[in-house]
Order: sequence, then C-alpha cells, then structure tokens
Amino acid sequence: MDHPTITAGSTLDQSSVTALVDDLERTLRERPGKVYVDLGAVERFDSAGLGGVVAGMRRAKDLGCELRLKGLSESMLDFFSLVSVERLVSPSAGAARVDPVTRLGAMVEPMVDGAIAVAATACDALREFAVGPFRRRFLRLDRTAIEVDHCAAGALPIIALIAFLLGLILAMQAYVQLRVWGAEIYIADMVGVSLLAEIGPLMTAIVLAARSGSRNAAQLGSMVVSEEIAALEQMGVRPLAFLVLPKVVACAFAAVTLSVVFDVVGICGGALFAWGAAGIEFGAFAEQLRAALHLSDLTVALAKAATFGAAVGVVGCALGLRVKGGSEGVGRATTNAVVLGIFQVIVIDALFVTAQRMLG
Amino acid sequence: MASLSIDLREQRRSTDDLVRALALTTCFGGRTVLDGIDLAIRAGEVFVIMGPSGCGKTTLLRNLCGLLPPDLGAVSVRGHDLYSAPPQLLHHLRLNTGLSFQGGALLGSLTVLENVALPLRENTSLPEAVILDTARMKLDMVGLLHAAELLPSSLSGGMKKRAAIARAIALDPDIVYFDEPSAGLDPITAAEVDNVIVKLNKVFGITMVVVTHDLPSAYAIADRIVVLLDGRVAALGPRDEVWHHSDPRLRDFIERRLPAEDGSGMDVIRHIEV
Repeated sequence: MDHPTITAGSTLDQSSVTALVDDLERTLRERPGKVYVDLGAVERFDSAGLGGVVAGMRRAKDLGCELRLKGLSESMLDFFSLVSVERLVSPSAGAARVDPVTRLGAMVEPMVDGAIAVAATACDALREFAVGPFRRRFLRLDRTAIEVDHCAAGALPIIALIAFLLGLILAMQAYVQLRVWGAEIYIADMVGVSLLAEIGPLMTAIVLAARSGSRNAAQLGSMVVSEEIAALEQMGVRPLAFLVLPKVVACAFAAVTLSVVFDVVGICGGALFAWGAAGIEFGAFAEQLRAALHLSDLTVALAKAATFGAAVGVVGCALGLRVKGGSEGVGRATTNAVVLGIFQVIVIDALFVTAQRMLG
Repeated sequence: MASLSIDLREQRRSTDDLVRALALTTCFGGRTVLDGIDLAIRAGEVFVIMGPSGCGKTTLLRNLCGLLPPDLGAVSVRGHDLYSAPPQLLHHLRLNTGLSFQGGALLGSLTVLENVALPLRENTSLPEAVILDTARMKLDMVGLLHAAELLPSSLSGGMKKRAAIARAIALDPDIVYFDEPSAGLDPITAAEVDNVIVKLNKVFGITMVVVTHDLPSAYAIADRIVVLLDGRVAALGPRDEVWHHSDPRLRDFIERRLPAEDGSGMDVIRHIEV
C-alpha cells in the first residue's frame, strides 16, 4: 500500500512553514496510517520551519498516525541533535483538570490569607505600639517624619481641592432643597454636619488609601522581591518596628490632620456658596455652624479618622509584606491594598455609626 | 528570523566583522566608565568580555547591543551605525540580536513557555501550534522542557538563566549577548550553561558575546577575549594569546593575585605612643 508523501520546497522557514503544516493537516485528516515528509529538497530552514515539522509529528501522534521524515540534511540533523523529538511530541502535562471545589478554594484562599495577614499585622502593630515605650527604640521618629511628609504634606493640595469642591457641591444640593422652605440658613448645618461626621474622614481615608496604601504595598512588596526585608530580619532589625510602625503611625496622623483640613476647607467652600447664592453672611453662617456642631462630634470624627488612617496603613503594609511571585505579585498587592483599604474603611465607619447609635 | 543552512552557517562563520565598536566612551555621573574602546566582533565566534568587577563590562555590552548610547564613539552592526539607524532598520537589527540578561529578566506574569513564545508571537505570523512547538524546541535545547508550564518565580537561578537563553535564541538571531551567564551558579550548573552556549555556537554558528568575570568559564568557551581594566582595553586577541599575556596587571587578574599592599592598612602605627 502506498503511503502519502508531502514534499517540502527549497525553503522551510517562517514564511513557508504554514503551507507545509496545512498540507500535513489535510493529509492527516484522512487517517492514512503512515505519512512521509520529504525534506530532501530543503536548502534553507529556520527553527520555525522545523517547529512546523515537530507540530506535524505531534498532530500525527494525536490522530494515531505515524509520521516519518525523509531526506534530512546534515545541518538538520545537527539541529535535531540538540533536542529530543520523543520528548517534544509526548503529550505535555499541561494544566491538570481542577474540580470546582478546588477552584473555589483557590479563589477564596488568597482572600482568607489576605484577611489573616491584615489582622495579624494589625495585632502586631498594636502590640508594638503598646510595648514599644519599654523598648530601647520605640518609634523611629526620623522614618516617621519621612512618611508623614509623603502621606500628609504630599496629599495636602489634592485634599484641599476636593474638599473645597465638595463643600460647594453640598451647599448647592442643600440650597436647592432648603430654598423651597425658605430655610437657606440650614445650609450651614447640612454642610457642617455631613462634612465633619462623615464625608471628611471618609474622603480623606479614600485619598489616603489611593496614595499611601498603594505606595506602602508597592514599596514593601518590591523590598520582599529584592530580599531587602529578609536582609533586615537577618540583621536583627524587625521590619515591623523599622518599616511598618512608622508607616501606620504616619497614616493615622495624616488622616487626622488631613480630615481637619478637609472639614475647614469644605466648610469654607460651603460658606462661599451660601454667601454668593443665598446671600447668607459669613457671620451668620458661622453662628449657625456653632449651634449645629458639638465638641463630641469633633472628637468622634477625629477618632474615626485616626482609625481609618491606621487601617489603611496596616492593609498596605500587610499585603506588601506577603508579596509572592515578583512584579506580578507587587501589582496584585498594590491593587488589593487600595480595594481592601477602602472596603475596610467603610466597614469601620459602619461599626462606628452603629456604636454611636447604641451608646446614644 | 535568519534561515539556517550549511551555506548560511559558513557565511555566519566568515571572518567579516559583525559588530564594531569605535572609540566608545561612556560616563556615569562624571565618572568615565569606558574610555575609548575599539574592538571588532567576528561573525560566528564566541567573544568573551572579561575584567574585574566595575571595569565597565556590562556597560560595554549595553553599548554594543543597542541599549545604552555611548557618550562618544559609535557601534556598527553589519556596517550600519546602531545609534543613528532609522527605526525600521533598528527594529530589524534588534530582531537579529538576542540578549540574555544577568537575572533572566523573564516576564513574571507569563509561564516559561509563554516567555519563549513571546518574541515569536509578536514578530511573526506563524500558526499557534508552530509557535508553541518552536518555543518548546528552544526550551529542550537548554534542557528546560520539563519546566515549560512553570512561572519564572518558581525557577532556580540556573533555570532562569537557561530560560533567558531559550528566549534570546527564539528568533534565530545572528548574535546573542550574555550578561554574566555563570554568575551566582554552582560550578556544575555554570558548566551546563557554558555547554549550551558552545553547543548553540557550534550548531547554528550564532555569534556569542559573553560578559563574565568567571575565569574557568571564559577559558572554556572563548575563541577570542577582550580584557578590560579601568575602562580601557588591556588585552584583545585569541584566547591563548590573552591568557599568556605579559602585562603584570593582566597576570594579577588571570592568576587571581591580590594587588600588592600599599601599607596604608597599618598606618595606625604612626599614632601609637610607645
């Protein structure tokens, strides 16, 4: 019985290999049992050309056919001396089939790991903060100052801009509603209370998560990848005290100061709108504001801001320190630091509001 | 991708200069790292750039392969000035040049196989099956077929270097540059990497330019050697000629002798009151 033979042309390279592969595919589909590929006429070839021949052999094996080569030149044999065709055409292990439960577990596991890492880092940071004063070196003030410079001073312009615009917007929204009742003076209450109690700390924490949470995760993650963290540990310097605590303290400090700035600038924006649109004098606005706000509101708001800031700091550091897998891992940790940071801030906010309600 | 044939291999091994460096001078922050380097790399040879740490080896490699323009001087590849070539020619020259980085520089988000297949996917219109089998062949050449589906983060140092070599030769380049291929490897793994370099040179006639300060490795693979000392060419020529060069500083380097003590280490004596 005659077996089909496919003859390659004088050139078998990346420009001509597709035709050979197509010819082979057509022939193999008829399940010939055995097929010959004659390479005797080939004068020029490249890796892709022989890659096509190997791809054909693999396809033949998959279809239960035998592919035999003819007319290999000395240089082709030299090329094939560097590889094992048997190894190449043997089915690759590939990705093993994974059952749905394992797949679900693989999805959930990083989340659980992340949550545990964040909780553990938070506990460690708290303990460090508590026992720190009894140690030889408590808080590295020089490192904390650098972090504060980035977290607080660096964020000042964007915080002021957002606050001013948000103050204007809040006043505008309040004015539209209150004008109907002739109660424009209550713009001060609306703007003041919503900024101080909720929007100030929340927006500050979100900006902080985007700027500093991501920075902390990327910085510590790169340090893990380049083994700087391992080097610190080996030298007897605890990364928690040396790197994490200054960052967490700086984030908490930045959240408090920035939320005060946010409130003040936002109220200024609201007052400006109230004066311009509703004709409310600044004095009257201030008087109304004083009546609406209590010192306890400010205390709670600042405590909330400090907690938000510390949480953002802890999340960024915790995810940064557990980076695995090079640049890809650093990217993942940075994204998660922002997402988880903001989510955590919202959860803490809900807890604060609930606690406030329950305590009256 | 250059076609291989007996003729082409012979052509690759011709004595023509493939790469020429003319009076290369490169400075970093006011410090002259390379000072007027002149050399020529012949087609088909294994050319080793040797010298102590900080002598400008890696800078020279980066100048030669087109990654770092020199402050003065020129690099020509097949007669084309590398740093004034129009974008299309530069792209063509790049495709004919492979570079194996010191740390591998594999993309962390891709598997080893995908890393090797990447230049083929981006620069050719081959069918997917051919791309994958070509990439698998390159991996088998460096003995890494079993690690094809792994991510670079789970490879050892030696495996990363071999994967980087497989990626560097993916497009059948005329010339491959290696930055410290045996640095940080044990002698056996280093010898394996050397073996891969020599094998690819012998079979394909690819010109290999290897930066190293590993003396046994340099001796094992080199056809010709250039030794750099303080940014200048201290010796350039066939391996044995350089190995037996009479320059005392070169002898110190090759025989791994410590430079003579200048006595400054004990000058505390001048401050001791007896």
